[in-house]
Amino acid sequence: MSQIEFINITKQYGNFKALDNISFTINNGEFIFLVGPSGAGKSTIIKLLIREELSDAGEILFNGKNIKEFTQKEMPDLRRKIGVVFQDFKLLNSKNVFENVSIALEVVNSSETEIKSIVPNVLNLVGLTDKILSFPKQLSGGERQRLCIARALAHEPDVLIADEATGNIDPDASQEILDLLGKINSLGTTVIMATHDERMVDQMKKRVLRLDKGSIISDKKGGKYRE
Amino acid sequence: MTSTFLLLGVFINIVVFSQTALKYLENQAQITIFFKDEFTEEKIKTYQSELHNDPRIMDVSYVSKEDALRIFREMNKDEPILLENISASVLPASLEVKTKDITQLKNISEEFIQKEGVEDVQFFEDVIQRFSVWSRTVYIIGFILVLVFLIVSYSVVVSTIRTSINNRGEELSIMKLVGASDEYVKKPFIYQGVFFGVLSSFIASIIVFLLDLTADKLKIFSDGLSLGFIPGFFISPLIFSLILCFVLILSGFLLGLLGSTTAIKKYLQS
Ligand SMILES: Nc1ncnc2c1ncn2[C@@H]1O[C@H](COP(=O)(O)OP(=O)(O)OP(=O)(O)O)[C@@H](O)[C@H]1O
Ligand SMILES: [Mg+2]
Repeated sequence: MSQIEFINITKQYGNFKALDNISFTINNGEFIFLVGPSGAGKSTIIKLLIREELSDAGEILFNGKNIKEFTQKEMPDLRRKIGVVFQDFKLLNSKNVFENVSIALEVVNSSETEIKSIVPNVLNLVGLTDKILSFPKQLSGGERQRLCIARALAHEPDVLIADEATGNIDPDASQEILDLLGKINSLGTTVIMATHDERMVDQMKKRVLRLDKGSIISDKKGGKYRE
Repeated sequence: MTSTFLLLGVFINIVVFSQTALKYLENQAQITIFFKDEFTEEKIKTYQSELHNDPRIMDVSYVSKEDALRIFREMNKDEPILLENISASVLPASLEVKTKDITQLKNISEEFIQKEGVEDVQFFEDVIQRFSVWSRTVYIIGFILVLVFLIVSYSVVVSTIRTSINNRGEELSIMKLVGASDEYVKKPFIYQGVFFGVLSSFIASIIVFLLDLTADKLKIFSDGLSLGFIPGFFISPLIFSLILCFVLILSGFLLGLLGSTTAIKKYLQS
């Protein structure tokens, strides 16, 4: 059974089709890039998967279960199993680095001790230990992205999705993030990364799903950004 | 908010006070039948036992000329000149009648005015009826006011909670995206609403309690308060006041709970 399955998914915003009848599957432990020009529908796929938005047609299965059938009570569970690094980060500017991660644990009523052990752990993993008391506004783009990764990892998700911000990170910073995602993937977590970074995609030689205007134009193992 | 509960408290107080007053009035002799001098005590007593068996009558008591004099002296003890010229013989003997139902007053009076030996019949129908009409009006106005204020307070709770939800809208949606359950998101707002309701009703309770305490100190209701719907039941004003405060705080709690639940439900649905 595939971990994630999109079956004939269409998503419309008004009359505009952001996704037009797309189907694909992702298996447990895969590393996959979502590429394509701005507006191709990459973020939309992610929003549908965590049910931030609902599709207009088609089915999305997570571990074989239709996500439309998740009840209000089961929804938090879905979102804990899928950690997302949002394109717009969705950090709380009034909270510091530590609190931005701990909130993911607080909302599931984790104990003080769990929070005190997990948060420093994930912050250490993403290399933000010395920024623990900084606020998001005081962080660089790359640091903010790493903070988001830390928050997404707090629940030890089965799937980590990184929706990369476009062009605001320097090459060194993105290399670091890529290494980090590779490391997480090697520990068994499925990683999905939406990106515009051609060099990064070509270097990794992983599966590449190319989108354009809401349709899949290619899906290749060991693929490249172009072609 | 506080004013709603204050109003509610004062209103309930007024209802109970006026009912107590009404009961008190009803318990006074409502009909007094005066007899001619030549009509003997024995004959009066036959009327009395007749009335005693009448199902409409609650109580009858005989007031002899001597009793009347004693009462008259008591009432006018500050005016010795008036008292000098009075003797038992000039005062009429009478029967004091209490009916079970004040609407019967007129019938009974009319029956008696025609009977032999009756000089005059007086009854307080007007006073009692006017008072009961007046208190009913107060109930209705008070009830409407309380209702209006309840609705207003409810909307205040709903809109206050909604404002604070909107202020934290981004935070809430982020919390949900990182796995917060609806319950988790709801909780602080429900607490806020309940706190708001309980606090305002608590303030109102204190004021109402102080008012009642003053009433108690002034010994306005020495017999205790009567609750109209439980006949013959009297309760000490202070205990009543405590119960009232409890009721107020409970309604504050419920109003806060209901208002905040509604507000957050609307948010979670959208
Ligand atoms: N809430 C919305 N309302 C209307 N249109 C939307 C909305 N969200 C996305 N769209 C449109 O859907 C299309 C796909 O958007 P999406 O965010 O998936 O693109 P993307 O591939 O992530 O682009 P980028 O690389 O710039 O992040 C875009 O044309 C966008 O304008
Ligand atoms: Mg995007």
